[in-house]
Amino acid sequence: MIKILVTGATGFIGRELCLALAGKGYQVRALCRNTNHPYLIKHKNIVPVQGDILYPDSLKKAMQDCTQVYHTAALAKMWCRNPDAFYDTNVIGTRNVLSAATNAGVAKLVYTSTCGVWGPTLNFPLSEDEPRIVGFPIVYERTKYLAELEVQQFVNQGLNVVTVNPSRVFGEGPVTDSNTVSKMVSGYLRGKWRIIPGNGEQVANYAYLPDVVNGHIAAMEKGLKGNRYILGGEDISFNQFFSTVGTASGIKHRMLRVPQKAIKLYSHVEQFKTRLTGLPPFFLPEFADRLKFDQKYSSQKAAMQLGYRITPFGDAMQKTVDYLKQT
Amino acid sequence: MQQLTAIITGASEGLGKSFAIELARRNINLVLVALPGSGLPQLAAYIRKNFNIRVDELEMDLTDAENYHNIFNYLQLVGITAHMLINNAGLGNWSWFEDKNIIFYKKQIELNVITPVLLTRLFLEQAGSKTTSYILNVGSLGGLFVVPKKQVYGATKSFIRYFTKCLQLELSGSNVRISLLSPGGINTKPELLVMNNKLKGIARATILEAEDVARIAIDGMLRGKKEIIPGAVNRLLVLLNSMLPAFVKESIIRSRLKLILKR
Repeated sequence: MIKILVTGATGFIGRELCLALAGKGYQVRALCRNTNHPYLIKHKNIVPVQGDILYPDSLKKAMQDCTQVYHTAALAKMWCRNPDAFYDTNVIGTRNVLSAATNAGVAKLVYTSTCGVWGPTLNFPLSEDEPRIVGFPIVYERTKYLAELEVQQFVNQGLNVVTVNPSRVFGEGPVTDSNTVSKMVSGYLRGKWRIIPGNGEQVANYAYLPDVVNGHIAAMEKGLKGNRYILGGEDISFNQFFSTVGTASGIKHRMLRVPQKAIKLYSHVEQFKTRLTGLPPFFLPEFADRLKFDQKYSSQKAAMQLGYRITPFGDAMQKTVDYLKQT
Repeated sequence: MQQLTAIITGASEGLGKSFAIELARRNINLVLVALPGSGLPQLAAYIRKNFNIRVDELEMDLTDAENYHNIFNYLQLVGITAHMLINNAGLGNWSWFEDKNIIFYKKQIELNVITPVLLTRLFLEQAGSKTTSYILNVGSLGGLFVVPKKQVYGATKSFIRYFTKCLQLELSGSNVRISLLSPGGINTKPELLVMNNKLKGIARATILEAEDVARIAIDGMLRGKKEIIPGAVNRLLVLLNSMLPAFVKESIIRSRLKLILKR
Protein backbone atom coordinates (compact mmCIF):
# COMPACT_ATOMS: atom_id res chain seq x y z
CA MET A 1 0.00 0.00 0.00
CA ILE A 2 1.26 3.49 -0.86
CA LYS A 3 2.31 5.47 2.19
CA ILE A 4 1.92 9.23 2.04
CA LEU A 5 3.23 11.86 4.45
CA VAL A 6 1.22 15.06 4.88
CA THR A 7 2.88 17.92 6.80
CA GLY A 8 0.60 20.52 8.35
CA ALA A 9 -2.03 17.83 8.93
CA THR A 10 -3.99 20.02 11.35
CA GLY A 11 -4.04 22.99 8.96
CA PHE A 12 -7.03 24.23 6.96
CA ILE A 13 -5.91 22.49 3.74
CA GLY A 14 -3.82 19.70 5.31
CA ARG A 15 -6.58 18.15 7.41
CA GLU A 16 -9.03 17.88 4.49
CA LEU A 17 -6.24 16.59 2.27
CA CYS A 18 -5.53 13.81 4.80
CA LEU A 19 -9.21 12.85 4.80
CA ALA A 20 -9.47 12.83 0.99
CA LEU A 21 -6.33 10.66 0.64
CA ALA A 22 -7.50 8.31 3.38
CA GLY A 23 -10.85 8.01 1.61
CA LYS A 24 -9.02 6.91 -1.53
CA GLY A 25 -7.47 4.04 0.44
CA TYR A 26 -3.97 5.44 0.87
CA GLN A 27 -2.18 5.06 4.17
CA VAL A 28 -1.72 8.61 5.39
CA ARG A 29 0.86 9.68 7.92
CA ALA A 30 -0.31 12.95 9.41
CA LEU A 31 2.66 14.94 10.68
CA CYS A 32 1.74 17.18 13.61
CA ARG A 33 3.52 18.70 16.57
CA ASN A 34 0.70 17.59 18.84
CA THR A 35 -0.92 14.26 17.94
CA ASN A 36 -3.90 15.09 20.18
CA HIS A 37 -4.66 18.29 18.24
CA PRO A 38 -8.45 18.81 18.04
CA TYR A 39 -8.31 19.66 14.31
CA LEU A 40 -6.68 16.34 13.40
CA ILE A 41 -9.22 14.16 11.59
CA LYS A 42 -9.70 10.60 12.90
CA HIS A 43 -9.84 7.86 10.24
CA LYS A 44 -8.63 4.28 10.10
CA ASN A 45 -6.20 5.15 7.29
CA ILE A 46 -4.77 8.23 9.03
CA VAL A 47 -1.88 7.58 11.39
CA PRO A 48 -0.83 10.63 13.42
CA VAL A 49 2.96 11.01 13.56
CA GLN A 50 4.50 13.30 16.11
CA GLY A 51 7.07 15.61 14.51
CA ASP A 52 8.10 19.13 13.58
CA ILE A 53 9.44 20.41 10.27
CA LEU A 54 12.05 22.34 12.26
CA TYR A 55 13.49 19.04 13.56
CA PRO A 56 15.07 17.08 10.68
CA ASP A 57 15.36 13.89 12.74
CA SER A 58 11.60 13.76 13.23
CA LEU A 59 11.12 14.21 9.47
CA LYS A 60 13.53 11.38 8.72
CA LYS A 61 11.49 9.04 10.90
CA ALA A 62 8.14 10.23 9.55
CA MET A 63 9.20 9.83 5.92
CA GLN A 64 10.51 6.27 6.18
CA ASP A 65 8.94 4.12 3.39
CA CYS A 66 6.82 7.04 2.12
CA THR A 67 6.65 7.35 -1.66
CA GLN A 68 4.75 10.64 -1.70
CA VAL A 69 4.89 13.78 0.43
CA TYR A 70 2.49 16.71 0.58
CA HIS A 71 4.15 19.67 2.29
CA THR A 72 1.30 21.94 3.37
CA ALA A 73 2.76 23.09 6.72
CA ALA A 74 3.40 26.84 6.94
CA LEU A 75 3.03 29.86 9.15
CA ALA A 76 0.21 31.72 7.38
CA LYS A 77 -0.88 34.22 10.01
CA MET A 78 -0.75 37.96 9.43
CA TRP A 79 1.45 38.58 12.45
CA CYS A 80 3.58 36.63 14.87
CA ARG A 81 5.26 37.80 18.07
CA ASN A 82 8.57 36.25 17.03
CA PRO A 83 9.48 37.99 13.72
CA ASP A 84 11.87 35.17 12.71
CA ALA A 85 9.15 32.53 12.99
CA PHE A 86 7.98 33.12 9.40
CA TYR A 87 11.45 32.57 7.99
CA ASP A 88 12.11 29.57 10.22
CA THR A 89 8.87 27.75 9.47
CA ASN A 90 8.33 28.68 5.84
CA VAL A 91 11.89 28.70 4.48
CA ILE A 92 14.05 26.56 6.78
CA GLY A 93 11.12 24.18 7.44
CA THR A 94 10.59 23.71 3.70
CA ARG A 95 14.31 23.14 3.16
CA ASN A 96 14.24 20.48 5.89
CA VAL A 97 11.27 18.72 4.28
CA LEU A 98 12.87 18.79 0.81
CA SER A 99 16.16 17.52 2.14
CA ALA A 100 14.50 14.71 4.13
CA ALA A 101 12.50 13.74 1.02
CA THR A 102 15.72 13.56 -1.01
CA ASN A 103 17.39 11.34 1.60
CA ALA A 104 14.34 9.11 2.01
CA GLY A 105 14.08 8.56 -1.76
CA VAL A 106 10.56 10.01 -1.97
CA ALA A 107 9.24 9.67 -5.53
CA LYS A 108 7.25 12.90 -5.65
CA LEU A 109 6.47 15.88 -3.44
CA VAL A 110 3.70 18.46 -3.78
CA TYR A 111 4.54 21.80 -2.17
CA THR A 112 1.73 24.11 -1.10
CA SER A 113 2.75 27.67 -1.93
CA THR A 114 0.36 30.60 -2.38
CA CYS A 115 -0.82 33.14 -4.97
CA GLY A 116 0.74 35.60 -2.53
CA VAL A 117 4.09 35.01 -4.26
CA TRP A 118 2.59 37.18 -7.03
CA GLY A 119 0.42 39.37 -4.82
CA PRO A 120 -1.32 42.32 -6.49
CA THR A 121 -2.33 42.17 -10.14
CA LEU A 122 -3.22 44.70 -12.84
CA ASN A 123 -6.24 44.63 -15.14
CA PHE A 124 -6.29 40.96 -16.16
CA PRO A 125 -6.13 37.69 -14.20
CA LEU A 126 -2.53 36.66 -13.71
CA SER A 127 -1.07 33.34 -14.83
CA GLU A 128 1.95 31.39 -13.62
CA ASP A 129 4.73 32.82 -15.79
CA GLU A 130 3.77 36.46 -15.27
CA PRO A 131 5.82 38.72 -12.98
CA ARG A 132 5.18 40.19 -9.56
CA ILE A 133 4.74 43.97 -9.79
CA VAL A 134 5.47 45.13 -6.23
CA GLY A 135 8.00 44.33 -3.51
CA PHE A 136 7.56 41.95 -0.60
CA PRO A 137 6.53 44.01 2.45
CA ILE A 138 4.27 41.19 3.69
CA VAL A 139 6.47 38.72 5.53
CA TYR A 140 4.28 35.70 4.72
CA GLU A 141 4.54 36.38 0.98
CA ARG A 142 8.27 37.08 1.20
CA THR A 143 9.05 33.84 3.03
CA LYS A 144 6.80 31.76 0.74
CA TYR A 145 8.66 33.26 -2.24
CA LEU A 146 12.00 32.37 -0.65
CA ALA A 147 10.67 28.86 -0.03
CA GLU A 148 9.85 28.53 -3.75
CA LEU A 149 13.49 29.35 -4.50
CA GLU A 150 14.47 26.48 -2.20
CA VAL A 151 12.09 24.19 -4.11
CA GLN A 152 13.66 25.26 -7.40
CA GLN A 153 17.12 24.34 -6.12
CA PHE A 154 16.00 20.84 -5.11
CA VAL A 155 14.24 20.41 -8.47
CA ASN A 156 17.49 21.34 -10.22
CA GLN A 157 19.24 18.65 -8.17
CA GLY A 158 16.71 16.07 -9.38
CA LEU A 159 13.92 15.95 -6.77
CA ASN A 160 10.46 15.65 -8.32
CA VAL A 161 8.51 18.55 -6.81
CA VAL A 162 5.30 20.13 -8.07
CA THR A 163 4.21 23.45 -6.56
CA VAL A 164 0.57 24.44 -6.15
CA ASN A 165 -0.44 28.05 -5.50
CA PRO A 166 -3.90 28.34 -3.92
CA SER A 167 -5.50 31.81 -3.76
CA ARG A 168 -7.68 32.83 -0.79
CA VAL A 169 -9.01 29.49 0.40
CA PHE A 170 -12.41 29.17 2.09
CA GLY A 171 -14.82 26.40 2.92
CA GLU A 172 -15.90 24.04 5.66
CA GLY A 173 -13.18 24.04 8.27
CA PRO A 174 -12.03 25.55 11.56
CA VAL A 175 -11.93 29.35 11.78
CA THR A 176 -8.35 30.32 12.69
CA ASP A 177 -6.05 33.33 12.43
CA SER A 178 -4.59 31.86 9.25
CA ASN A 179 -7.88 31.96 7.39
CA THR A 180 -9.05 35.50 6.67
CA VAL A 181 -12.02 34.51 4.53
CA SER A 182 -13.56 32.26 7.20
CA LYS A 183 -13.01 35.03 9.75
CA MET A 184 -14.82 37.52 7.50
CA VAL A 185 -17.76 35.18 6.86
CA SER A 186 -18.20 34.02 10.45
CA GLY A 187 -17.81 37.63 11.61
CA TYR A 188 -20.57 38.67 9.19
CA LEU A 189 -22.88 35.89 10.38
CA ARG A 190 -22.42 36.97 14.01
CA GLY A 191 -22.97 40.62 13.06
CA LYS A 192 -19.42 41.54 14.01
CA TRP A 193 -17.99 42.21 10.55
CA ARG A 194 -19.74 45.29 9.17
CA ILE A 195 -17.15 47.01 6.97
CA ILE A 196 -16.30 46.96 3.29
CA PRO A 197 -12.92 48.47 2.33
CA GLY A 198 -12.98 51.37 -0.14
CA ASN A 199 -15.88 51.38 -2.58
CA GLY A 200 -16.06 47.58 -2.43
CA GLU A 201 -15.07 47.17 -6.08
CA GLN A 202 -11.67 45.68 -5.28
CA VAL A 203 -11.48 42.15 -6.66
CA ALA A 204 -9.78 39.10 -5.18
CA ASN A 205 -9.74 35.42 -6.07
CA TYR A 206 -11.46 32.92 -3.75
CA ALA A 207 -10.75 29.18 -3.93
CA TYR A 208 -13.09 26.57 -2.46
CA LEU A 209 -11.36 24.12 -0.11
CA PRO A 210 -12.56 20.83 -1.75
CA ASP A 211 -11.40 22.17 -5.16
CA VAL A 212 -7.99 23.00 -3.70
CA VAL A 213 -7.70 19.56 -2.07
CA ASN A 214 -8.57 17.85 -5.37
CA GLY A 215 -6.04 20.13 -7.08
CA HIS A 216 -3.33 18.92 -4.71
CA ILE A 217 -4.07 15.26 -5.47
CA ALA A 218 -4.23 15.95 -9.21
CA ALA A 219 -0.87 17.75 -8.97
CA MET A 220 0.61 14.62 -7.39
CA GLU A 221 -0.87 12.44 -10.14
CA LYS A 222 -0.35 14.63 -13.20
CA GLY A 223 1.73 17.68 -12.28
CA LEU A 224 4.95 18.22 -14.21
CA LYS A 225 8.22 18.30 -12.27
CA GLY A 226 9.28 21.82 -11.32
CA ASN A 227 6.01 23.38 -12.52
CA ARG A 228 3.70 25.70 -10.59
CA TYR A 229 -0.08 25.56 -10.75
CA ILE A 230 -2.46 28.26 -9.57
CA LEU A 231 -5.39 26.65 -7.72
CA GLY A 232 -7.93 29.46 -7.58
CA GLY A 233 -11.62 30.11 -7.89
CA GLU A 234 -13.70 33.00 -9.15
CA ASP A 235 -12.56 36.64 -9.13
CA ILE A 236 -15.03 38.38 -6.83
CA SER A 237 -15.31 41.97 -5.56
CA PHE A 238 -15.94 42.78 -1.88
CA ASN A 239 -19.45 43.95 -2.83
CA GLN A 240 -20.22 40.66 -4.63
CA PHE A 241 -18.65 38.73 -1.77
CA PHE A 242 -20.86 40.19 0.95
CA SER A 243 -24.01 40.18 -1.14
CA THR A 244 -23.41 36.45 -1.80
CA VAL A 245 -22.86 35.80 1.91
CA GLY A 246 -26.04 37.80 2.61
CA THR A 247 -28.10 35.76 0.16
CA ALA A 248 -26.65 32.45 1.35
CA SER A 249 -27.30 33.18 5.03
CA GLY A 250 -30.51 35.18 4.72
CA ILE A 251 -28.87 37.75 6.99
CA LYS A 252 -28.69 41.27 5.58
CA HIS A 253 -26.48 43.79 7.31
CA ARG A 254 -25.98 47.41 6.34
CA MET A 255 -22.27 47.53 5.57
CA LEU A 256 -20.06 50.53 6.27
CA ARG A 257 -17.72 51.52 3.44
CA VAL A 258 -14.41 52.70 4.88
CA PRO A 259 -11.93 54.56 2.61
CA GLN A 260 -8.55 52.88 2.09
CA LYS A 261 -6.76 55.94 3.54
CA ALA A 262 -8.72 55.67 6.80
CA ILE A 263 -7.87 51.97 7.02
CA LYS A 264 -4.20 52.79 6.42
CA LEU A 265 -4.25 55.40 9.18
CA TYR A 266 -5.92 52.96 11.54
CA SER A 267 -3.38 50.26 10.64
CA HIS A 268 -0.57 52.59 11.77
CA VAL A 269 -2.33 53.01 15.11
CA GLU A 270 -2.60 49.22 15.37
CA GLN A 271 1.07 48.80 14.51
CA PHE A 272 2.01 51.34 17.19
CA LYS A 273 -0.19 49.55 19.71
CA THR A 274 1.52 46.25 18.88
CA ARG A 275 4.96 47.82 19.24
CA LEU A 276 4.09 49.21 22.68
CA THR A 277 2.11 46.34 24.12
CA GLY A 278 3.11 43.26 22.13
CA LEU A 279 -0.57 42.47 21.59
CA PRO A 280 -1.51 41.08 18.17
CA PRO A 281 -2.55 43.81 15.72
CA PHE A 282 -5.94 43.64 14.05
CA PHE A 283 -4.49 45.00 10.83
CA LEU A 284 -1.10 46.16 9.50
CA PRO A 285 -0.08 48.94 7.05
CA GLU A 286 1.34 46.54 4.46
CA PHE A 287 -2.09 44.89 4.27
CA ALA A 288 -3.84 48.27 4.02
CA ASP A 289 -1.66 49.07 0.98
CA ARG A 290 -2.87 45.88 -0.64
CA LEU A 291 -6.43 47.24 -0.66
CA LYS A 292 -5.40 49.52 -3.53
CA PHE A 293 -4.92 46.53 -5.82
CA ASP A 294 -6.93 43.68 -7.29
CA GLN A 295 -5.72 40.11 -6.88
CA LYS A 296 -7.10 38.25 -9.89
CA TYR A 297 -5.65 34.88 -10.85
CA SER A 298 -6.27 32.45 -13.67
CA SER A 299 -6.43 28.70 -12.91
CA GLN A 300 -6.37 27.85 -16.61
CA LYS A 301 -3.06 25.97 -16.53
CA ALA A 302 -4.30 23.73 -13.70
CA ALA A 303 -7.60 23.22 -15.55
CA MET A 304 -5.80 22.17 -18.74
CA GLN A 305 -3.02 20.04 -17.26
CA LEU A 306 -4.52 18.74 -14.02
CA GLY A 307 -8.22 18.73 -14.82
CA TYR A 308 -8.72 21.26 -12.00
CA ARG A 309 -12.37 22.28 -11.55
CA ILE A 310 -13.86 25.34 -9.89
CA THR A 311 -17.10 25.10 -7.89
CA PRO A 312 -19.27 28.17 -8.61
CA PHE A 313 -18.70 30.79 -5.89
CA GLY A 314 -22.39 30.98 -4.93
CA ASP A 315 -22.68 27.20 -4.33
CA ALA A 316 -19.38 27.08 -2.46
CA MET A 317 -20.34 30.00 -0.24
CA GLN A 318 -23.75 28.46 0.48
CA LYS A 319 -22.07 25.32 1.83
CA THR A 320 -19.57 27.37 3.82
CA VAL A 321 -22.28 29.54 5.38
CA ASP A 322 -24.41 26.48 6.26
CA TYR A 323 -21.37 24.92 7.93
CA LEU A 324 -20.37 28.03 9.88
CA LYS A 325 -23.97 28.58 11.05
CA GLN A 326 -23.96 25.11 12.65
CA THR A 327 -20.72 25.56 14.54
CA MET B 1 -0.46 65.71 -25.85
CA GLN B 2 2.25 63.95 -27.80
CA GLN B 3 2.85 60.28 -26.99
CA LEU B 4 6.07 60.08 -24.96
CA THR B 5 8.54 57.20 -24.87
CA ALA B 6 10.84 56.38 -21.95
CA ILE B 7 14.02 54.30 -21.96
CA ILE B 8 14.57 52.40 -18.70
CA THR B 9 17.83 50.58 -18.04
CA GLY B 10 17.92 47.67 -15.60
CA ALA B 11 14.18 47.34 -16.13
CA SER B 12 13.58 43.69 -15.29
CA GLU B 13 13.87 43.79 -11.51
CA GLY B 14 13.60 45.91 -8.40
CA LEU B 15 13.32 49.66 -8.88
CA GLY B 16 13.58 49.38 -12.69
CA LYS B 17 10.50 47.16 -12.82
CA SER B 18 8.64 49.63 -10.60
CA PHE B 19 9.61 52.48 -12.96
CA ALA B 20 8.22 50.45 -15.87
CA ILE B 21 4.85 49.86 -14.16
CA GLU B 22 4.63 53.46 -12.93
CA LEU B 23 5.27 54.93 -16.40
CA ALA B 24 2.90 52.41 -18.01
CA ARG B 25 0.18 53.63 -15.61
CA ARG B 26 0.86 57.14 -16.89
CA ASN B 27 0.39 55.97 -20.47
CA ILE B 28 4.02 56.44 -21.51
CA ASN B 29 5.51 54.06 -24.08
CA LEU B 30 8.45 52.02 -22.89
CA VAL B 31 11.81 50.84 -24.15
CA LEU B 32 13.00 48.36 -21.54
CA VAL B 33 16.67 47.40 -21.36
CA ALA B 34 17.99 44.56 -19.18
CA LEU B 35 20.36 41.60 -19.15
CA PRO B 36 19.36 38.46 -21.08
CA GLY B 37 17.80 35.83 -18.84
CA SER B 38 16.48 38.34 -16.31
CA GLY B 39 12.80 37.87 -17.16
CA LEU B 40 12.49 40.93 -19.41
CA PRO B 41 10.29 39.36 -22.15
CA GLN B 42 7.79 38.17 -19.50
CA LEU B 43 7.63 41.64 -17.94
CA ALA B 44 7.24 43.33 -21.32
CA ALA B 45 4.45 40.93 -22.33
CA TYR B 46 2.65 41.46 -19.02
CA ILE B 47 2.74 45.25 -19.39
CA ARG B 48 1.55 45.02 -23.01
CA LYS B 49 -1.36 42.85 -21.93
CA ASN B 50 -2.45 45.16 -19.12
CA PHE B 51 -1.83 48.62 -20.58
CA ASN B 52 -2.59 50.19 -23.90
CA ILE B 53 0.98 51.28 -24.65
CA ARG B 54 3.84 50.27 -26.90
CA VAL B 55 6.60 48.30 -25.16
CA ASP B 56 9.91 47.47 -26.81
CA GLU B 57 12.41 45.25 -25.04
CA LEU B 58 16.15 45.05 -25.58
CA GLU B 59 18.03 42.26 -23.84
CA MET B 60 21.66 43.30 -23.64
CA ASP B 61 24.67 43.75 -21.39
CA LEU B 62 25.25 47.48 -20.89
CA THR B 63 28.90 46.98 -20.01
CA ASP B 64 29.41 46.03 -23.66
CA ALA B 65 30.34 49.34 -25.33
CA GLU B 66 28.66 48.50 -28.67
CA ASN B 67 25.31 48.36 -26.98
CA TYR B 68 25.06 52.11 -26.28
CA HIS B 69 24.80 52.71 -30.02
CA ASN B 70 22.70 49.59 -30.51
CA ILE B 71 19.90 51.05 -28.38
CA PHE B 72 19.62 54.25 -30.39
CA ASN B 73 20.20 52.55 -33.74
CA TYR B 74 17.29 50.30 -32.88
CA LEU B 75 15.08 53.26 -31.96
CA GLN B 76 15.94 55.02 -35.21
CA LEU B 77 15.18 51.84 -37.15
CA VAL B 78 11.70 51.52 -35.67
CA GLY B 79 11.10 55.29 -35.82
CA ILE B 80 10.92 56.07 -32.12
CA THR B 81 12.26 59.23 -30.52
CA ALA B 82 12.68 58.88 -26.77
CA HIS B 83 12.02 61.87 -24.53
CA MET B 84 12.70 60.22 -21.20
CA LEU B 85 15.77 58.37 -20.03
CA ILE B 86 15.84 56.57 -16.69
CA ASN B 87 19.45 55.68 -15.91
CA ASN B 88 18.60 52.99 -13.39
CA ALA B 89 20.91 50.03 -14.09
CA GLY B 90 23.58 49.69 -11.44
CA LEU B 91 25.60 47.24 -9.45
CA GLY B 92 25.81 47.50 -5.66
CA ASN B 93 28.09 45.94 -3.10
CA TRP B 94 28.47 45.72 0.67
CA SER B 95 31.89 44.24 1.22
CA TRP B 96 35.41 45.16 2.26
CA PHE B 97 37.54 46.46 -0.58
CA GLU B 98 39.78 43.36 -0.63
CA ASP B 99 36.80 40.99 -0.78
CA LYS B 100 35.88 41.61 -4.43
CA ASN B 101 38.10 41.04 -7.44
CA ILE B 102 39.11 43.56 -10.09
CA ILE B 103 36.65 42.14 -12.64
CA PHE B 104 33.80 43.05 -10.29
CA TYR B 105 34.99 46.61 -9.73
CA LYS B 106 35.59 47.16 -13.44
CA LYS B 107 32.05 46.00 -14.19
CA GLN B 108 30.62 48.09 -11.36
CA ILE B 109 32.33 51.26 -12.54
CA GLU B 110 31.36 50.60 -16.17
CA LEU B 111 27.71 50.04 -15.32
CA ASN B 112 27.35 52.78 -12.68
CA VAL B 113 29.47 55.48 -14.34
CA ILE B 114 30.27 54.93 -18.01
CA THR B 115 26.82 53.62 -19.00
CA PRO B 116 24.73 56.56 -17.70
CA VAL B 117 27.18 59.16 -19.05
CA LEU B 118 27.30 57.73 -22.55
CA LEU B 119 23.58 56.99 -22.70
CA THR B 120 22.83 60.56 -21.61
CA ARG B 121 25.10 61.86 -24.37
CA LEU B 122 23.44 59.74 -27.07
CA PHE B 123 19.95 60.36 -25.70
CA LEU B 124 20.32 64.15 -25.88
CA GLU B 125 21.61 63.89 -29.44
CA GLN B 126 18.48 62.09 -30.67
CA ALA B 127 15.94 63.91 -28.50
CA GLY B 128 16.37 67.27 -30.19
CA SER B 129 15.34 70.55 -28.58
CA LYS B 130 11.73 70.98 -29.71
CA THR B 131 10.07 68.76 -27.11
CA THR B 132 10.86 68.78 -23.40
CA SER B 133 13.13 65.87 -22.50
CA TYR B 134 13.56 64.30 -19.10
CA ILE B 135 16.53 62.46 -17.62
CA LEU B 136 16.39 60.71 -14.27
CA ASN B 137 19.72 59.57 -12.88
CA VAL B 138 19.48 57.08 -10.05
CA GLY B 139 22.05 58.08 -7.46
CA SER B 140 22.00 57.17 -3.81
CA LEU B 141 22.13 58.76 -0.41
CA GLY B 142 25.36 56.78 -0.37
CA GLY B 143 26.71 59.40 -2.77
CA LEU B 144 26.33 61.95 0.03
CA PHE B 145 27.41 60.01 3.12
CA VAL B 146 30.65 58.11 3.44
CA VAL B 147 29.63 54.58 4.32
CA PRO B 148 32.15 51.80 5.02
CA LYS B 149 31.91 48.71 2.80
CA LYS B 150 30.40 50.86 0.03
CA GLN B 151 33.73 52.35 -1.13
CA VAL B 152 33.40 51.90 -4.90
CA TYR B 153 29.59 51.95 -5.06
CA GLY B 154 29.43 55.20 -3.05
CA ALA B 155 32.16 56.72 -5.21
CA THR B 156 30.26 55.91 -8.43
CA LYS B 157 27.14 57.51 -6.95
CA SER B 158 29.17 60.61 -5.97
CA PHE B 159 30.24 60.76 -9.59
CA ILE B 160 26.58 60.64 -10.68
CA ARG B 161 25.77 63.42 -8.21
CA TYR B 162 28.47 65.71 -9.62
CA PHE B 163 27.66 64.79 -13.22
CA THR B 164 23.94 65.46 -12.77
CA LYS B 165 24.38 68.74 -10.84
CA CYS B 166 26.83 70.00 -13.44
CA LEU B 167 24.60 69.09 -16.38
CA GLN B 168 21.73 70.89 -14.63
CA LEU B 169 23.85 74.07 -14.76
CA GLU B 170 24.92 73.55 -18.36
CA LEU B 171 21.37 72.78 -19.50
CA SER B 172 19.52 75.41 -17.47
CA GLY B 173 17.19 77.36 -19.71
CA SER B 174 17.09 74.53 -22.25
CA ASN B 175 14.30 72.08 -22.91
CA VAL B 176 16.00 69.34 -20.88
CA ARG B 177 15.01 68.51 -17.30
CA ILE B 178 17.56 66.42 -15.49
CA SER B 179 16.87 65.06 -12.01
CA LEU B 180 18.95 63.23 -9.46
CA LEU B 181 17.18 60.53 -7.46
CA SER B 182 18.84 59.97 -4.09
CA PRO B 183 17.03 57.13 -2.37
CA GLY B 184 18.01 55.49 0.90
CA GLY B 185 17.59 51.74 1.10
CA ILE B 186 14.96 50.08 -1.08
CA ASN B 187 13.35 46.72 -0.45
CA THR B 188 13.86 44.95 -3.76
CA LYS B 189 14.80 41.30 -4.21
CA PRO B 190 14.12 39.57 -0.90
CA GLU B 191 16.94 37.06 -1.37
CA LEU B 192 19.44 39.92 -1.46
CA LEU B 193 17.94 41.91 1.35
CA VAL B 194 17.63 39.63 4.33
CA MET B 195 19.75 42.31 6.01
CA ASN B 196 17.06 44.97 5.65
CA ASN B 197 14.77 42.92 7.87
CA LYS B 198 17.27 42.98 10.68
CA LEU B 199 17.45 46.78 10.78
CA LYS B 200 15.67 48.61 13.56
CA GLY B 201 14.50 52.12 14.40
CA ILE B 202 15.81 55.01 12.25
CA ALA B 203 17.78 52.71 9.97
CA ARG B 204 14.58 50.78 9.26
CA ALA B 205 12.66 53.99 8.51
CA THR B 206 15.14 54.91 5.73
CA ILE B 207 14.08 51.80 3.78
CA LEU B 208 11.23 52.26 1.31
CA GLU B 209 9.30 50.03 -1.07
CA ALA B 210 10.38 50.21 -4.73
CA GLU B 211 6.91 51.13 -6.01
CA ASP B 212 6.75 54.13 -3.65
CA VAL B 213 10.22 55.33 -4.67
CA ALA B 214 9.28 54.99 -8.36
CA ARG B 215 6.06 57.00 -7.95
CA ILE B 216 7.78 59.80 -6.02
CA ALA B 217 10.68 59.85 -8.49
CA ILE B 218 8.51 60.11 -11.60
CA ASP B 219 6.40 62.85 -9.99
CA GLY B 220 9.60 64.76 -9.18
CA MET B 221 11.12 64.22 -12.61
CA LEU B 222 8.02 65.50 -14.43
CA ARG B 223 8.03 68.61 -12.23
CA GLY B 224 11.69 69.15 -13.11
CA LYS B 225 12.91 68.71 -9.52
CA LYS B 226 16.70 68.88 -9.31
CA GLU B 227 17.11 66.36 -6.52
CA ILE B 228 14.51 63.88 -5.37
CA ILE B 229 14.95 62.36 -1.90
CA PRO B 230 12.06 59.97 -1.16
CA GLY B 231 11.03 59.57 2.47
CA ALA B 232 10.78 62.14 5.28
CA VAL B 233 13.42 60.42 7.43
CA ASN B 234 15.89 60.49 4.56
CA ARG B 235 15.24 64.21 3.95
CA LEU B 236 15.84 64.84 7.64
CA LEU B 237 19.16 62.98 7.45
CA VAL B 238 20.26 65.14 4.52
CA LEU B 239 19.26 68.27 6.42
CA LEU B 240 21.19 67.13 9.50
CA ASN B 241 24.15 66.31 7.30
CA SER B 242 24.28 69.88 6.04
CA MET B 243 24.08 71.30 9.58
CA LEU B 244 26.35 69.06 11.61
CA PRO B 245 30.04 70.01 11.80
CA ALA B 246 32.45 67.68 10.03
CA PHE B 247 34.06 66.32 13.21
CA VAL B 248 30.67 65.20 14.60
CA LYS B 249 29.82 63.35 11.39
CA GLU B 250 33.22 61.73 11.38
CA SER B 251 32.77 60.45 14.93
CA ILE B 252 29.33 59.04 14.05
CA ILE B 253 30.76 57.17 11.09
CA ARG B 254 33.70 55.91 13.18
CA SER B 255 31.41 54.58 15.87
CA ARG B 256 29.35 52.83 13.16
CA LEU B 257 32.53 51.40 11.72
CA LYS B 258 33.47 50.01 15.14
CA LEU B 259 30.10 48.28 15.25
CA ILE B 260 30.71 46.74 11.85
CA LEU B 261 34.26 45.70 12.75
CA LYS B 262 33.01 43.95 15.87
CA ARG B 263 30.83 41.58 13.85
